[in-house]
Parts: sequence; structure tokens; C-alpha cells
Amino acid sequence: MTPLKEFTPYAPRAATLVRKETLSDYVTLFEFNQDNGRPLAHKPGQFIQVSVYGVGEAPFSISSRPKAGSNSFEIAVRKIGAVTTALHNLEAGDKVGIRGPFGSSFPVQEFVGKDTIFVAGGLGYIPLRSLLRYQLRHRDEFGRIIVMIGCRSPEERIFINEIEDLAGRNDVEVLETVDCSNDSWTGNVGVITTLLPKVELDVENTYVAMVGPPIMYKFVIGSCVSDQCISPDRIYVSLERKMKCGLGKCGHCQINGISACVDGPVFRYTDIDLLKEAL
Amino acid sequence: MAAYIVYQEQLPGLLKLWARRYGVHVPVDTGNGLYDFSPWSENTVIAWDYDVTVNPLKRYLLPPREELITFDLTDYSAKGVFEAPRQLLFGVHPYDLNAIAQMDQLMEAGSPDRNYLNRRENTVIFAMEPMRVAENSFWPSMGGGRSDIGFDLFWTRIGPATFFVEVGSKTGEDLLMAGGELPSASAPQHDAARRQREKIRESSDLSSLNVPWEELPKILSKSWNSPIWRERSTMCLACGSCNLVCPTCYCFDIKEEVDESLKTGRRWREWDACMLPSFALVAGGHNFRSRAAERYRHRYFRKGKYIYDLIGELGCVGCGRCIKACTARIANPLAVYNQLSEEAAR
Repeated sequence: MTPLKEFTPYAPRAATLVRKETLSDYVTLFEFNQDNGRPLAHKPGQFIQVSVYGVGEAPFSISSRPKAGSNSFEIAVRKIGAVTTALHNLEAGDKVGIRGPFGSSFPVQEFVGKDTIFVAGGLGYIPLRSLLRYQLRHRDEFGRIIVMIGCRSPEERIFINEIEDLAGRNDVEVLETVDCSNDSWTGNVGVITTLLPKVELDVENTYVAMVGPPIMYKFVIGSCVSDQCISPDRIYVSLERKMKCGLGKCGHCQINGISACVDGPVFRYTDIDLLKEAL
Repeated sequence: MAAYIVYQEQLPGLLKLWARRYGVHVPVDTGNGLYDFSPWSENTVIAWDYDVTVNPLKRYLLPPREELITFDLTDYSAKGVFEAPRQLLFGVHPYDLNAIAQMDQLMEAGSPDRNYLNRRENTVIFAMEPMRVAENSFWPSMGGGRSDIGFDLFWTRIGPATFFVEVGSKTGEDLLMAGGELPSASAPQHDAARRQREKIRESSDLSSLNVPWEELPKILSKSWNSPIWRERSTMCLACGSCNLVCPTCYCFDIKEEVDESLKTGRRWREWDACMLPSFALVAGGHNFRSRAAERYRHRYFRKGKYIYDLIGELGCVGCGRCIKACTARIANPLAVYNQLSEEAAR
């Protein structure tokens, strides 16, 4: 008998909450430090599994850019179920368990020298922020940065101050819209596809990074491809599924024959356009 | 590969020797024409002629509930839990052998599943040629009639009390010789074993797929919009029985609890089923397979195409357990795949 091998990817590592920041009525930004002192070493678009012991574990996109030499990272969480509510109840100094980072990422090097349109529907800004902040940190390496953000209503906007700061920069173009307006909102009203015709694009030189609710993808991709003539192989999307194990085994995040947790969550559109369950 | 002859009267002695080192599990009659694997003891009556067991053998390698980690809430440390009892499964039919060999590949791929692989490493498998074919089985037409890998010994009964035993591994050979040297099989005995296998194969040809099994992935790729999914699934009770009895289904959920101390706890995985409505539900209430037809289709695609795309084998080994377990009488891979092949031919 060979000796049993006893490494398990199921054992989380400890991380400590260092900062909470309210982003909207239900969404909070959490900054953690890995207790082992090491950087999380993630790539933009990847996710981690976060545990509150006794309550459970859930997958979250990493919202901060990769930071060499720093053990800090951020996630932004909507209070919607047991784990997310437990996270909201944590105070600075409390611990969580983390596993990962898992999955594929946006191909950062492919975007170098090119223009990028970020298309964020609802909470889609959270995972896209990791790539966006990476590009801003290395601003000279990238072309135009166009950020399109759509929310259901003005109350659901998140990262408001950060987005206002972005809009104030002369090297970033920010376009926002809400599906349903109220008196306080003077911006664009309509679905996120209404933002696309507002910018003139160098389509040969433009990549799209998109995250949003399931219903958004087909409409935006349709607009990008047929109205704007962006080549489908320059469109990247991140797909949310119920990732349980993060290792491609448990079957919950299957999209047809592939697993979102290892083959995704970030996909090049041309790699998934034939998968019926993808979008 | 070496082959030896063992007489039935030698078996009690051998079983006793094996049971000193392993938990030995054998097929037994559980009444009402049903069979299952059960721990062997000296009083156990082995059901040599069982047709198929109610439960698949995956429970020995991927238990219905298996602890993965223990955790400590005071410092948020966690430790892996590995249980891998030394076990010997005696009397495994070829279709189940195929199912295990398939699971071996899938659990090894990508991020290797140590919990499964540790159990597998501590498991000895003695396969056995079936003597009877279950009413609902269709394994010969699914390529599941014979497996050349994954066994330590392969037993074929060639006389009323005579077994032809083919060696698959050194472990198997050592266990076979544990009670003393045995005679090697003669050429006529090799022939007798081959004839016995052919005989059982012929008797099982009654239920069969009307196309070669290699065609199924192609047929499925054209059948996404077939009316069959809706027609057959309208009766689905979404009970997940077909998943539970399937030897190649291995999806699981992960759960946890805190001990009474409120300081420590444990996390485990337990079998889950893609036929349950909540399986593909995500936060916010969106369900990627909310309708029964979508879940039903997913299951047949997983068996007939997705697994094939990964490892070149069908995810259905033709045991027919799902046919028997389905109270709505809709889980029948043979009927589904035959109907799809007819649709494709039209």
C-alpha cells in the first residue's frame, strides 16, 4: 500500500477583516488580510471561496487589483443569503476562512496597447473592478478605458465616490445609466445597451470585458457585434454559477460539458457561443 | 495475464484470510429479488448469481456523506480529514468496474480528489463475470460488458464449483495465494472462461441500443431541441433517485455544522442530484435549469456526451438501476437514446 497523501484543497486559510465600507443599502466592501502574510496572488476576474464557519462557504469575485507584496484583498458582497448576511455581521478583527483564488482570469496581456470597454451590469462592477484598477495602475500600457455601468435604479449604484473620481479623470470615459429613474437622477435612463452608441470606437483595437446579470449578456453582445462591429473573439465575459467545490468536481457550476469554476468564470465569447446554457 | 483455478471449497478459508486485512464486502440477497453489497462474515451467504445490486458501488469510494475538514472557530484554522478504510469488494460486475474506472479518471483529472483517491488506493477489487443479466440491464450495448482494467482479480465460474481467476495486479495475486499456491489454468480452462463470457453476452443482447454506442455523442449534439425532453419529463417527480442509484453520478453538495462547544466544527460533502430543482440555483433566485425538461436533458447529455467529451467513454454503463429506481417510469437511458437515434435517422 502506498502511503496516503494528505493535502486537501478543501481546507481554508485564515484571513482577518480589516475594513468594511458601505457601498449601498445592501452591498458592502470588505478588505481582508491573509493571516499567513502572503499576497493572495490572484489575477483579475478570479474568485475565492469565503467561509464563515458554522454558516457556510460561498464564492466571491475578488474586487481589488493584484498587489505584489501585500496580503490585503477586497471583495464586495450583497446581503442576500446566510453566508453574505454573516459576512455583513463581521467587525474589523474578525476572521474568515478563504480558499483559492480559483478559475480563469481576464487575459491582461492581450489587452495591453488596446482600448477596453468595461460593461458592468448591476453588481458586475465588482469583478470588473479588479481588471479596471490593474489597468489604471499601469495606465500607460493601455489605450482608452471606457467604463459603462448600468443599474436598476439610482439607489443601487455602488462605488459611487470611486466612479465619480473616475469620471473626473481625463484618461477614463465613464457612462452610467439606470433602468428606472427618480428625481435625484439626471443621467441616462434605459438599459445598458443604450450607452454603446454614445461612444465612437476604434473597433479593430477594442476589447470588451463584461459582467452582469444573465439577461444582459445576449443583448450587449448582440449590440457589440452587430451594431458596433466588434469581433466576437475580443469579447470577454464572466459567468456566475453556484460554485461549491471550486475544483471542477461537484457539478453545480456545469455549463453544458464544462465547469465555470475551472474553465471560467472568465470566458472568451467565441469559446462559449455554441454552449446553449452559457448565456 | 496469469490465470489460476480456485475451487469453491477453498473460498471460506481465503475469505477468512482476506478479512483479517480488509473489510470484505460481497453481494447478498436482501429479499424480494433485490441484491446489495454487504460486509462479509462467516455466516454470510454470497449471492453468486446476483443480477444487479440496488445501490451502486460508488458508496465505497465516494460515501453518501464524507467529512472533508474539521475547523476551529477560535483561530480559523482547518485540517483535512481523510478516511480510507482497507476494503475488498468481491463480486463486482464488469459494468460497475467500468463505472469505477471512469470515476477514477474523473477524480484524478485536474485537481486530484485526494479523499476519493485515498479510498481507491486502499480498495481491492475482485471482479466477477455475471451469471444472470438483470431485466433492465443493457450493458453489452453500452460497451460495458467487459473491462480489462481496474480489477485486482477477475473471477469467472466455469463449473458448478470451479472458478477461473484472472490476475489484474500483484496485490490480487498475493491475496489469491494467501492460503497457498494454486494451479495455473489450462488451455481448455481458458476456453471455458471465454465461452462462459460469450454465453452471458448472448443472453443479454435482448435489450440493446439500436446504434453503436460511439454514435450517441453525435446524436445528442443534434437533439438539444428534441421534444423528447419535455414529453418524458412532464412526469418527473424531481426526486433524484436516478442520480442516487447511478454508478457514474458523483455530484455533491458541501455542508457544515458547529459542535456543541461552539469552538470547533466539521464540513462534509454529501451526494447531490442534478434532477433536484435547486441544483443550478444561484444567488438572487436565478435558476439555470429551473424546468424539469432542462434538468432531464442535462442528465442525458452528461451521460451521453459531456463525459464522453472528457474521457472518450459514455457516462452510462448500462446497469439499468435508474430504470428500476424511477417511480415515474421515465428514467430509461436505453429508451431515450433509442428514440433520439430514431429521430436523428428521420
